[in-house]
Amino acid sequence: MLSVKDVSYSYEDSQRKALDGVSLDVADGEFVCIVGHNGSGKSTLAKMLNALLLPTSGTVSVNGLETHDEDSVLAIRQQVGMVFQNPDNQIVTTVVREDVAFGPENLGVPTEEMAERVDRALRAVGMERYASSAPHMLSGGQKQRVAIAGMLAMEPSILVLDEATAMLDPIGRRDVLGIVRRLHDESGITVVMITQYMEEAIGADRVVVMNDGKIAMTGAPAEIFRRGDELREIGLDVPLAVELREELAKKGVCDCGDALTLEDMADKLCPLFLKN
Amino acid sequence: MPIVLEKLTYTYQNGSINAFTALNDIDLTINDGEFVGLIGHTGSGKSTLIQHLNGLMQPTSGKVYVDGIDMSDKKVRKLGRQRIGMAFQYPDYQLFAETVAKDIAFGPKNMGLTDEEVDRRVREAMRIVGLNETVFADKSPFELSGGEKRRAALAGIIAMYPKYLVLDEPMAGLDPSGRRGVLETIERFREELNSTVIMVSHSMDDVAKSAERVIVLQDGRIYRDGAPADVFCDAEELNRLGLDAPFAARLAAELRRRGCNVPSDIYTNEALACFIEHLVKGEV
Repeated sequence: MLSVKDVSYSYEDSQRKALDGVSLDVADGEFVCIVGHNGSGKSTLAKMLNALLLPTSGTVSVNGLETHDEDSVLAIRQQVGMVFQNPDNQIVTTVVREDVAFGPENLGVPTEEMAERVDRALRAVGMERYASSAPHMLSGGQKQRVAIAGMLAMEPSILVLDEATAMLDPIGRRDVLGIVRRLHDESGITVVMITQYMEEAIGADRVVVMNDGKIAMTGAPAEIFRRGDELREIGLDVPLAVELREELAKKGVCDCGDALTLEDMADKLCPLFLKN
Repeated sequence: MPIVLEKLTYTYQNGSINAFTALNDIDLTINDGEFVGLIGHTGSGKSTLIQHLNGLMQPTSGKVYVDGIDMSDKKVRKLGRQRIGMAFQYPDYQLFAETVAKDIAFGPKNMGLTDEEVDRRVREAMRIVGLNETVFADKSPFELSGGEKRRAALAGIIAMYPKYLVLDEPMAGLDPSGRRGVLETIERFREELNSTVIMVSHSMDDVAKSAERVIVLQDGRIYRDGAPADVFCDAEELNRLGLDAPFAARLAAELRRRGCNVPSDIYTNEALACFIEHLVKGEV
């Protein structure tokens, strides 16, 4: 259980509050997506979750451990695995296997257990064939999968992805999202995913919309994407299926309900075609 | 006069055992005024290709001509380079002056324009990219958000009045309003200065919105070259190449698979909504 209570934060050189009284609970096994425009505070919030940043006021706790408590920081970082935007900044060694082992080694995991953990983590992201490869030879998507494996090897209960797909091509993005989705569905890991891509929020249990350091909206994807005009007003957008559905409603053609995906839209539109 | 690539081949580490041919015998003409979307998966040769357009890279064999200027000829290359404005993926690498206005002025100043003309162009470029002069002119480029930085970098290029604007992933990493803003900027620039745009993008939906011609690179060769409707109609084919079709094209394909009669030239939400509107109102 992840608990953010009334957290505010200002960067040293700025008068503006990057976070302004944010409260958010994430339940075990939940898949939460955080969206917001550039500068809305979503990355600052992500960095609070494993004590990379500490609140100016308010508290953040992970499974009962507070990030303010210095003695808890190591345990919190083992519990909360973070994957960032730029895959190149996260690679520290010259062999994939060693890269994945880096985190658990620092946790003091015994050598006998290490090989097994690393193998398991690489299998979970479908990168076992690359265990002996040099990370710099991998594609962006593959590097991100190795970065995720590095986190998994620490056996965290929460995975935080801070725009981890932003620099990937469509295939890389699909791969990484597929892996995260599977890890969540199969091993029940809690996922907090920060993204600019509204399409990526569709499959979340809950969407949190950030604006000016505050939580502007929170709810199931279907609820959030009914509020297209409000989202656009704060620099966001709706998924393309929703854009089409809005367009059809505006023209008075049909009501596609809460359709969010291509399949949803096909289900709604198909009868229309067969009737006409 | 167009940009002409003649049998352009480029091999990285030519002659070594690691030699890799990134571009293979490419013949291509880009005509004045076109908006070209250049797509292809990572490693297909897109970035290598656009770096040849202003002579940043020189072909292993073959020729690049910009308005008839041979870009391999050191004596005249500069003339060709002046006609091409290049914007890269990371604006941080392109911004260096102490204020936004000075940054935008850098290129035009180097062209030897008068101070008044430089000033005029800076103001015009800021208007085109949608950066309010009173707010942004004296700001440090480092105080800008990602989308603002991207627009400031674009303004610096626009102020040089390039005949050709070459953009490498101009919207990557931006939030939705930033993406919209940059795309609108490019369109406005093209309308007002009557330029040619070549845009590399992973986002098929962005390409579908603006490009009039789509070129697909695959393994260093031109795999498809045509109107968006012709390129985007085969969603499965694009998938095999590691690309996505635009959302509306994929939805249209799915509807056809389910037995609905949707024309194959629909690839934007706007066109699909119009078609369905006509269908429901009994006009198809």
